[in-house]
Amino acid sequence: MAIDLVEVQANTSSLADEFIAHRLGLIPLNSKNVDDVTYTRDCEYCDQYCEHCSVTLDLHARCTGDEIMKVYARDLVVSEPRPNEWVGMPVITDALGLGSVICKLRKDQEIRMKCIAKKGIAKEHAKWAPTSAVGFEYDPHNKLKHLDYWYEEDPAKEWPKSNNAAWEDAPQDGEPFDYSANPAKFYFDVESIGNLEPDAVVLQGIKVLQQKLALVIQELSGDDRNGDADGFGAPRSPDGMQAGGDYGMNQGYTTPFGDTGGQTMYGGGTTPFGATPYGQSGWQ
Amino acid sequence: MNAPDRFETFLLGDGEKKVTEEADTRVQSASVFTFNKEDHTLGNMLRSRLKQSPNVYFSGYKVPHPLVSTFELRVQTDGSITPRQALLQACKDLVTDLGLLSREFTKEWELRKMVGDNVDGGANGV
Repeated sequence: MAIDLVEVQANTSSLADEFIAHRLGLIPLNSKNVDDVTYTRDCEYCDQYCEHCSVTLDLHARCTGDEIMKVYARDLVVSEPRPNEWVGMPVITDALGLGSVICKLRKDQEIRMKCIAKKGIAKEHAKWAPTSAVGFEYDPHNKLKHLDYWYEEDPAKEWPKSNNAAWEDAPQDGEPFDYSANPAKFYFDVESIGNLEPDAVVLQGIKVLQQKLALVIQELSGDDRNGDADGFGAPRSPDGMQAGGDYGMNQGYTTPFGDTGGQTMYGGGTTPFGATPYGQSGWQ
Repeated sequence: MNAPDRFETFLLGDGEKKVTEEADTRVQSASVFTFNKEDHTLGNMLRSRLKQSPNVYFSGYKVPHPLVSTFELRVQTDGSITPRQALLQACKDLVTDLGLLSREFTKEWELRKMVGDNVDGGANGV
């Protein structure tokens, strides 16, 4: 969630309307259970925006004292009703509970604005990005030799190990190089802005990927010229995924589900999938 | 300003299809799939998944132009399955893999929380 529309009712501050509107857009808003909110463009209840697809935040500040006053994100007043109890609240993590600064006001200056926060994705605007930093690494000991470190005397001394190195065994001296090894462990560092918990960011990311793939599956199997003859047809697809999963887990994953794979109703030769080359020979 | 709307990079236009298949006439059992409004996220993922299939001889993708939000995925199989089937199976397998990853992630996360390991790095201010 992020502020996407700003209706300026009064602005006598020294900053231009669009300048403040931009700053408002960048304020992180709580997005917990954001699935309760629809995209405005998909909303069936309204033409522009409504309580199902947006959250309204009111900002009204006026400096009455002689001192210069700061307007903070906590001064945004969230109006009800909202899609759920979390969505749209400004993220405030500092000890004083102020949130980010929006602008400063001198005596008798005033801003009054109505802000409409909407759901969006970072591809449209970076203000909707839930993360500020994502780290990725594999093979911290460089056992696979995908990296060729530059060094003066000894690369092991000159290049510091990353924190992820503790998760893997360091290579032994004189260990032969395994040229057929593939990377199997991948390390991600996810830093959230505060609108979503980092675990929610990861889970949401996985879900979006699945939705993208589901759309492709739907299109590919929808007008499948071969129909059901090969058992890949649309009506069977839920089974198909289940079967694929069981096979997948039998090949190297050690989950409680894995052991039962061959014995389930989907296993073995009971479905057309059992006979496909995918079934047994393995993709791993 | 003549900049295209940003949502055109991820919303399908009117009558636009997500995926279209075009057979490669030069080689047997090869096809080029054109994905609309998708990028490297899906392209690279499908490409690498297809490479794990024993029946796929070739899989590769390209984004013809960085300002046009499409990518082309070329798949060639050994003939025992069509490229379309291979792609469909790759998609399904990826969905299952991601489901597994999601479940395992949740399990591990909850476990860590129970142990009291400070997994969230103090980001509890929300």
